[in-house]
Amino acid sequence: MNAVSTHAVPAPHRSGLLTWLTTTNHKRIGVLYMTTTLAFFLLSGILALVMRSQLYGPHLSLVDRQTYNELFTLHGTAMIFLFVAPFGLGLANYVLPLQVGAPDMAFPRLNALSYWVFLGGGLVIFSGLATSSGAGASGWTAYAPLSTTGSPGPGMDLWALGVLMVSAASIMTAINLLVTTFVYRPPGMTMWRLPIFTWDMVVTSLVILMAFPPLGTTLVLLLIDRLLGGHVFDPAHGGSAVLYQHLFWFFGHPEVYVMILPFFGVVTEIIPVFSRKPVFGYTGLVLATLGIAGLSMGVWAHHMFTTGAVVNPFFSAMSFLIAVPTGIKFFNWIGTMWGGELTFPTPMLFSIGFMLNFLLGGITGVMLASPPIDYHVEDSYFLVAHFHYVLGGGSLFAIFAAIYFWFPKITGALLREGWGRLNFFLMFVGFNVTFFPMHLLGLWGMPRRVVTYADLPGWAALNRLSTIGSWIMAAGVLVFLWNLWTSLRGRIPSGDDPWGGFSLEWATSSPPPEHNFARIPPIRSERPAFDMRHPDLRR
Amino acid sequence: MKEGRGHAVIPIGAYTLVGGRNVRFVLAATVVLGLSACAPYGAPTGATLQGRQIFALWTVFFWSGVGVAAVVYALIFWSIIRYRKRSDRLPPQFTHNTLLEIVYTTIPVLIVAGLFVLTVRTETYLDRVPPASDPAVTLHVSAFQWSWRFDYEGTGVSIIGTPDHPPEVVVPTGQTVRIILTSPDVAHAFWVPGFLFKRDAIPGITNRFDVDVQAAGTYVGECAEFCGLDHARMQFTVKAVPPDEFRRWLERAGAGRPSS
Repeated sequence: MNAVSTHAVPAPHRSGLLTWLTTTNHKRIGVLYMTTTLAFFLLSGILALVMRSQLYGPHLSLVDRQTYNELFTLHGTAMIFLFVAPFGLGLANYVLPLQVGAPDMAFPRLNALSYWVFLGGGLVIFSGLATSSGAGASGWTAYAPLSTTGSPGPGMDLWALGVLMVSAASIMTAINLLVTTFVYRPPGMTMWRLPIFTWDMVVTSLVILMAFPPLGTTLVLLLIDRLLGGHVFDPAHGGSAVLYQHLFWFFGHPEVYVMILPFFGVVTEIIPVFSRKPVFGYTGLVLATLGIAGLSMGVWAHHMFTTGAVVNPFFSAMSFLIAVPTGIKFFNWIGTMWGGELTFPTPMLFSIGFMLNFLLGGITGVMLASPPIDYHVEDSYFLVAHFHYVLGGGSLFAIFAAIYFWFPKITGALLREGWGRLNFFLMFVGFNVTFFPMHLLGLWGMPRRVVTYADLPGWAALNRLSTIGSWIMAAGVLVFLWNLWTSLRGRIPSGDDPWGGFSLEWATSSPPPEHNFARIPPIRSERPAFDMRHPDLRR
Repeated sequence: MKEGRGHAVIPIGAYTLVGGRNVRFVLAATVVLGLSACAPYGAPTGATLQGRQIFALWTVFFWSGVGVAAVVYALIFWSIIRYRKRSDRLPPQFTHNTLLEIVYTTIPVLIVAGLFVLTVRTETYLDRVPPASDPAVTLHVSAFQWSWRFDYEGTGVSIIGTPDHPPEVVVPTGQTVRIILTSPDVAHAFWVPGFLFKRDAIPGITNRFDVDVQAAGTYVGECAEFCGLDHARMQFTVKAVPPDEFRRWLERAGAGRPSS
């Protein structure tokens, strides 16, 4: 495509399982990470389909109470700890060193360790299913004392241990990403020329370093209460049940940003490319992201407005404030499209779907930041709708955008555009049919985490609609899997840069050579690959 | 359906136990009506003094949300349609506009500041449990795995439910009922959707709040915090009756006769 593309000779091809098991190459680890998280996505998606089928009508008994409680616990745990957050880390593993112009991650062996610990953690969580008392069934939040004295049996221990392993893996990756970005940048790649995805991963990593150690502490305390006769969260013996909620959400809310910031980054990479314009308001965008990271550490107790045990106005004010830097990003994206020449291949479609869905999740988020409104809708299906619009309509759509965007970089082949459009259309319609009715169900009084519900007027109809939506979404995912299969079997070569990309990863071959770059083009802005194609436009 | 104002009216379709197992027709009708007349903006209007304050606040948030969504969606769709690719020319490569950025940062700050002020006003009203005031009824509510126990302070009257037989608690309309909420085992939450209000019952914590039910009727109540195996069956009903009827009921119940 252009003169600087390296087309370096690929490393000697040692095919076979062993090379994947022993690899320390960031691209291979990235691929392992992403495919593993997608497998967990499919698994927890199936769990969700079973739940939606159980809720198809009132008083159904497709699954029993205990099984249902295990289903939503595993679904939430896997989607959060084993899919959305680690997919961001896996994607960063592949893309970030390429974007900053580094030959690999700073600590390749730590990187490999991180992946294997992550995989082990995921398997440990699911291994609870094989125990006689079943998997952990306290919800993904595992509130004490339900998760301590209220849940005998090894499933809950395995849950805590598995999440502990996953959190340790995340900390390793966060350190690796930070050091890679800070230390391994080539000359010319200043911090203010980093692509936005890299910036967002830097901020995500900082948030991980602040939030995940408290999670580890909480889980260890939980295990001490469960296994060693501790009473940390037991009010009958001088402990505190509310303390668990504080500790958990001190991690849990920053975790929300760990699950969304990488995907803000993804769409901020994609929208400029398909608008053929630089991102609008780069500096403001970076500052807003840093603002989110700072504020995210001070909003945790908005999950506890109804406890009667926190200073609600403070956490309400902080939560309202964090809506501002999040809102700014919408104007960055709109400003980027404004005056552009927009094309709409699948990555762009998913990015626009992300904006349309995420906006609704943001608006209901502001509603939930108001304690009096929260008094009604907390722990109702309104809340379920809210966070699925953020993490499903938001992060999940951006994940698909990322897959369609970087698949050619990773494989050198294109995904089929027609199947991609169908994939997007089914998922967009299915997602909204599934989750929009939940707003109403919640406002009408349906609590979350119930195995069945009363036959109150309207409830059955909306639940049925929601279940049908989940099947449409599932059809979209099947189309995606077919697209992967068919595109890998009958490869359509993509060339090095099928999109006219901006950042450094598009200035090397697809797939990139073992150490990424034979030669790095001059870096004079945050768009070195673009500058290379337009030498006349140099700023 | 009208909003209950003074006269006894079934408050909100979706919340009220309609006598008997009611039919598809009611169901379909309420979906339609529920979206328009009965439940404006998706939410019930609140059957208590406190709930009505929450509903007023919800209304503001609802319309603010609609306004923001309308503007942002309009901008997104305008960009998509107006700036779709028309030629191969490279569009103008502008990168920022400081004034515009200041404006689009300031406006959201002003919006959330306004919403915050309204929030604090409502919340101050809700969280006020005046120690001096003399509630007509003080109700000790204990949420346990997996039902509810209601003790009427100073009367010896207790109502204890089971998952199979959800309890019905009786309260007077137009008077202050103070609820003192605790849990002996794990975390639960006391939620009466018709009141637009819930509060957690957490072991080690005692929560107090007032409800002033305005309209007579029967309201569904449920546990909103996941609490284990039978969480979904941890329900109750609140029957609000006029004060003299309530007094008669309490006397009967206090005399040892079963509280039907």
